[in-house]
Amino acid sequence: MRGWTALFIKDGKLILRNRLLLVVLVIYPFLIMGIMGAAFYDAGRPVPLGLVDLDRAEEGGIAWLGATTDEVPALERRFRYRAVRVEEFGSCEEAEEALSTGRASMVLAIMTDGESPRWLGADLTADQVELTLEDVREASSMRDYSSFQEALEPRGGERNDLVLALREKEYPHIGESIWLDKESYDASGLIMRFSSGVAEVTEYESEEEAREALARGGIDAVIVLPRAFVYRLKALNETAIVPVIIDQSNLVKAEFAETSIRGFLSRVKDGVAEEKMRAVVAGLYVLVTGGDFFGTEVVGLGQIRENLETIKGALADRPELAELVEGGIDLATTVIEDIEEAADYLKGTALPVELDISSTAGRTLSAKDAAVPALIALSILWTGVLCGAILMVVEDEEGMRERIALTETGPLALVGSKLLLATVVVFAQSAVMLVLAVAAFGVFASNALLALLVIAAASFSCIGIGLVIAAFARQVAAAVIMSVLVSFPLIFMTGAVYPLSQMPSFMQWLAHAVPLTYAIDALSGVMLRGEGLADVAGRVGILLAFGVGLLAAGSMLARRRDAG
Amino acid sequence: MISLLGVDKEYDGLRALSGVSLSIEEGEIFGLIGPNGAGKTTLIRILSGRMDPTRGEILFQGEKVEARHPGYRSRIGLVPQDPACYGRLTARENLGLMARLYGMGREEAVPRVEELLSWSGLMEHADRQARHFSRGMLQRLSLAMGMVHSPPVIFMDEPTSGLDPEARSSLWELISRLSGEGKTVLVTTHNMEEADHICSRIAILVKGRVREVGSPREIKGLLGADRLELRLENGAEGALSSVCGRLGLAWRREGDLYVVTGENIPGKLPEVASGLAGSLRDLHYREVTLEDAFLRFMREVGE
Repeated sequence: MRGWTALFIKDGKLILRNRLLLVVLVIYPFLIMGIMGAAFYDAGRPVPLGLVDLDRAEEGGIAWLGATTDEVPALERRFRYRAVRVEEFGSCEEAEEALSTGRASMVLAIMTDGESPRWLGADLTADQVELTLEDVREASSMRDYSSFQEALEPRGGERNDLVLALREKEYPHIGESIWLDKESYDASGLIMRFSSGVAEVTEYESEEEAREALARGGIDAVIVLPRAFVYRLKALNETAIVPVIIDQSNLVKAEFAETSIRGFLSRVKDGVAEEKMRAVVAGLYVLVTGGDFFGTEVVGLGQIRENLETIKGALADRPELAELVEGGIDLATTVIEDIEEAADYLKGTALPVELDISSTAGRTLSAKDAAVPALIALSILWTGVLCGAILMVVEDEEGMRERIALTETGPLALVGSKLLLATVVVFAQSAVMLVLAVAAFGVFASNALLALLVIAAASFSCIGIGLVIAAFARQVAAAVIMSVLVSFPLIFMTGAVYPLSQMPSFMQWLAHAVPLTYAIDALSGVMLRGEGLADVAGRVGILLAFGVGLLAAGSMLARRRDAG
Repeated sequence: MISLLGVDKEYDGLRALSGVSLSIEEGEIFGLIGPNGAGKTTLIRILSGRMDPTRGEILFQGEKVEARHPGYRSRIGLVPQDPACYGRLTARENLGLMARLYGMGREEAVPRVEELLSWSGLMEHADRQARHFSRGMLQRLSLAMGMVHSPPVIFMDEPTSGLDPEARSSLWELISRLSGEGKTVLVTTHNMEEADHICSRIAILVKGRVREVGSPREIKGLLGADRLELRLENGAEGALSSVCGRLGLAWRREGDLYVVTGENIPGKLPEVASGLAGSLRDLHYREVTLEDAFLRFMREVGE
């Protein structure tokens, strides 16, 4: 037992007298939790979102709608039936010109596989336009687009069989408002009101502009309010489909954005449903009590039942007639009870809003798709830092630093050669990971070649960190511990664990001083968001600049150390 | 060949070297001895350009030089205390690497590497990874690596530290051969036998100051003397005084031992023995070693 005690006390002393161990065991938990605390201290910050309101009609603007349906021939027949005269156009430009000059109020583009669209146009009345839209809506689900090109090649959606175009100003029910809590709201006003405190919404003129902001990382998701959104919200038989584009390349960020959008749209839904139900229930009660039923004066069923009771009383001497009236009273009572039950039922139902979530990648990404870029980037950080630090410290352990310092080879060559070699090694390792992920596990990578470029730049920068660490370590063991000490906190500062947009401003600034932030973002961009060379060139440049800067710092520190 | 003039080095207010002036001649093996912390390694680091002196100058072949200057560095070789080489490279690869780092082309490097492998006795092990070498082999490889660019001057920091007697002897032989080839060697050591055996001149460095410089014989003569240790029968002190007085020797008593010192003791030994005949129980002649002289010196300077 004495031996146990003596060894226990000895190890305690060793820890207390070893600064590195002391940092790992005692100070490190405070460091990590300090970083986490700083990241979370302002938790619950509004999620930055973009909003595109297609309900804002533009003078001269054209509304495009796409539908995927098997009923194109029937729909075409009905269109031709309604129109006085149907004109055929040779191209989209001709059709647009006919719409803008008023020659046609509605245009149909009928798509056939492998052939050019067939363009039909007609000058319809407002009612005919609405009826045609209803026909299409009944046959399929319709989506709004901002251009024919977009409708022709929808991102992340099925190919449209039919595309409709009409002047925005003549789109039925566009720009309608809704009264909630004694105030009138249009579509975007509604979103602004209900997202308050949950999201920070920026409105964009077009979906394209919003997508660009999403790609730049200024916002976490884009909500596209469809045309006649408020009308559809108010309509008893319509569901307003709201397309939402989320940057799914970062799982945590995407989850935050989706939860936030679902949260406040649920509040919109509840608010509208409540108003709608209040109106419907009031209307149903009017059926019982009598009065104005959505613009028509009706006699209430309650009154009818009372009248029947009176008649039944007056027919006391005619039991056969009284029995008939009794049947009418029972019927009225049953109907009244059914109406009251229906009113209660309606209060609990009604789902006027449905989200149609798509990814910036143009397809829905799985968890593994979104995880791989961050995993590769984290692997680059770990192996890069370790590789850089160990390669340098081995020179000390082998006693070669002093010897090499005497040769014609300077510290820049000593550090630089390690940086290049480690870059090749870490690049090869990460490239194997990428190939395995794509080939063996079917992970999505929209631009694998460009991903390799980003991997090379990320390796270059992360190894630089290891080279700087090496200036403070003399043994490989110390270099490994220091690499872990430095790398681990960096992970928390990159948005890989908690979205940057949810962190306080100073943490966001700090994140931009960490190469891993750019590595994860650029790798996610080229693999998942469909970014091209021009899009990631800036971040790749920053990664290379980090590498060069860290190489210079590593060389300077090596020179200082060699100078004793 | 290489001289130091009034070299001082201060670290954090502490003086590691103080007014060190030395001159090392071409082709000599110059030993730097001193206790731990005397400043030997600091001096080597300054001479090899790894550290700047706070004050003082270095002269190389009579000309003042900046020790960090590549022109100077290319003319010196360094053998660190611990064998410095890559354990996972073979002896041939280690030497080849050094040749490339010194800017040699392949056609120049290959014969030089073969020459050094042969010179260091490592030819048989040329293609073995250095991590499998004994410490003696590693030190020979390390010495060969310091010689790749054929420097006229080589600095060796305690090269035989931790070697067994056989390996030490083998390395001494190599160092001696260097001198024979006209190389100038500065070697720091704790091993007085080594300094006595291979060095043509020695400097004693204590607390950053050079206290004595000279050949091993001069240092020994300066700091110590041969002695004759005698055990005598009781009452023989008179005879001892008489003999010593006649031969010009001094004597003193250390416990039950009589110690006789003076010039040319070996030559006077027969006369001492005959003068003390009948009283002499035991006689032992001890030649002073460099270690004796050094320890005595250290006691004198209070270390």
